[in-house]
Amino acid sequence: MSAAPRTIRRRRSQVPRRALIGLGAFVVLFYSLAPLIWIFIASITPEHTADFDRAWLSNRQVTYFPDAPTLANYGSLFEAVPFGMYFRNSTIIAGGNMLLTLVIASLGAYGFVRFRFFGRSSFLVATLVAYTIPSVVLLVPLLVIFRTYGLNNTHLGMILAEATHSAPFVLLLLINYFSTLPRDLDEAAQVDGCGRLKVLWRIIIPLSLPGLVAGGLLAFIMTWNNFLFAFLLTSTAEVKTLPVIMRQFALGEPAVWGVSAAGAIVSTLPVALIFLLFQRMLMSGLAAGAVKG
Amino acid sequence: MSDIPIATVATTRRRRKRIDLFPYMLIAPICLLLAAVTVYPTLKAVELAMTNASLLRLQRAAFIGLNNFRRMLDDQVFLDGLWRTLRWDLAVVSLELAIALPIALFLNLNFRGRGFVRAAMMVPYITPPAVVGLLFLYMFDGNFGVVNDLLVRAGLIDNYIAWMSSPLASFWIVVSAMVWYGAPLMALILLAALQTIPGELYEAAQVDGASRWSQFVSITIPHILPTIFFLVLLRMIWMSNHIDMIFVMTGGGPGFSNHTEAVYSFMLTNQFQIGYASAIAVVLAAILMFVSAFYVRHLARNVLVNAS
Repeated sequence: MSAAPRTIRRRRSQVPRRALIGLGAFVVLFYSLAPLIWIFIASITPEHTADFDRAWLSNRQVTYFPDAPTLANYGSLFEAVPFGMYFRNSTIIAGGNMLLTLVIASLGAYGFVRFRFFGRSSFLVATLVAYTIPSVVLLVPLLVIFRTYGLNNTHLGMILAEATHSAPFVLLLLINYFSTLPRDLDEAAQVDGCGRLKVLWRIIIPLSLPGLVAGGLLAFIMTWNNFLFAFLLTSTAEVKTLPVIMRQFALGEPAVWGVSAAGAIVSTLPVALIFLLFQRMLMSGLAAGAVKG
Repeated sequence: MSDIPIATVATTRRRRKRIDLFPYMLIAPICLLLAAVTVYPTLKAVELAMTNASLLRLQRAAFIGLNNFRRMLDDQVFLDGLWRTLRWDLAVVSLELAIALPIALFLNLNFRGRGFVRAAMMVPYITPPAVVGLLFLYMFDGNFGVVNDLLVRAGLIDNYIAWMSSPLASFWIVVSAMVWYGAPLMALILLAALQTIPGELYEAAQVDGASRWSQFVSITIPHILPTIFFLVLLRMIWMSNHIDMIFVMTGGGPGFSNHTEAVYSFMLTNQFQIGYASAIAVVLAAILMFVSAFYVRHLARNVLVNAS
């Protein structure tokens, strides 16, 4: 084929192609963002009966856009529901889980990648098997065990329970990451008099920062979003997390949809922002690691 | 393995004398933690499954052998639950694939703003599932849901419908919430697979005059088929274990219509019948273990290759 007909053909198909791409992009954006935009509109729609004593008197209607947008729902969210406390609990548990997971997973990944020892592959396979045990099986015994050791209704207990998902996931991620680093660097550092733990701290950790950020933040997001453990292992507002209150909202308590919508937005915003800020690292982490659930 | 030369035995013995504890100390924290929060609870689950334990009288739980498992055979909720679990798996996974594959193919094209669309595409997967449940309940609400309003405006229905009180409609609404949440991850993984296909293959096919469609059928599909197979398998396992979305949106109802086995076990736990709940969870896990053995083998092979 000569060059001339090709350019003509390309020019002719340029406009429809661009239109099709635009259409495709619109469909994808509509699919993924429309429900969230809809709940955002709900959250700025003034509630006619923002009255927690007579919540059943809702005269809410379908509103495509409010005449007088308001942030009042966000205010009542923090006044009427101990929403600040739930937010704090989510932050403590997700943050604590992130730190715990990062520390133990980077130690473990360093051990598995850089050392040969008796039982190495057995231990590795065991952690994988542990990862595939479904939460359904773990729920009841964890509840019983946590009661026995006084770990239910504590932040520590929640952090440990969430580690069943996040620790093996981050371990796998970091094993993949650490194994891409050349060994020569460790050896050079050891020649310079670094101890083996110092090699991890001085060489491996700084070089795998993107992997650590991805692993840590994904652990944070998973924990922030997880509902099951939070629902079953907590019974007091002192440790309940945002997904638990979201379920109460879904059940229609306190039946003020504007406030529930505001709650949904505030629960989603932190993780959505984290994701959008670090999207490149997080997406490669998600595509590489096998996410549970 | 079988015939170890004598020299090797000697070195092993010598090495054992000065066994290096350092790597064990490195893996100890994560292994101990996983032993405490997964291995021990799993054994405990099997033990509980053979008792009539109730959360209200845990101390007086009695060993009843396999009675819980026998009870399942007469339990209509359990028996119907097998079909309901399969129906849920198939509905969610096939719809996720039907949505994720076109999205992945689209995002594999080169265009300006692709990075932005790809990031926006992932937003549903980052949204907490409980919030997703709330979102869909709000959209399908019987009194002020936007879906009712649009359908009435389009003239498809005359009156607002209370969708969530119908067993079939509520099932499909939970499925669509789940699909909305889960399809982006599938699209992302498919996209990663698409990007490993060498571009020369398509160029060669173009030179040979192959049409777009035949390129898709004979190059694209064979390349991503293993990934698709793997994703379907994995999603089926996780969906069988899935509780969040169904429980948040329906509580398993109306009636028992959305009781998959996982949800049934969870509902029993909420009613304090933890012995029987464990038994159901153990049976579910045992069934799925056959499938997940594949997965573990694949993961293990990958990780062992990577780690060496």
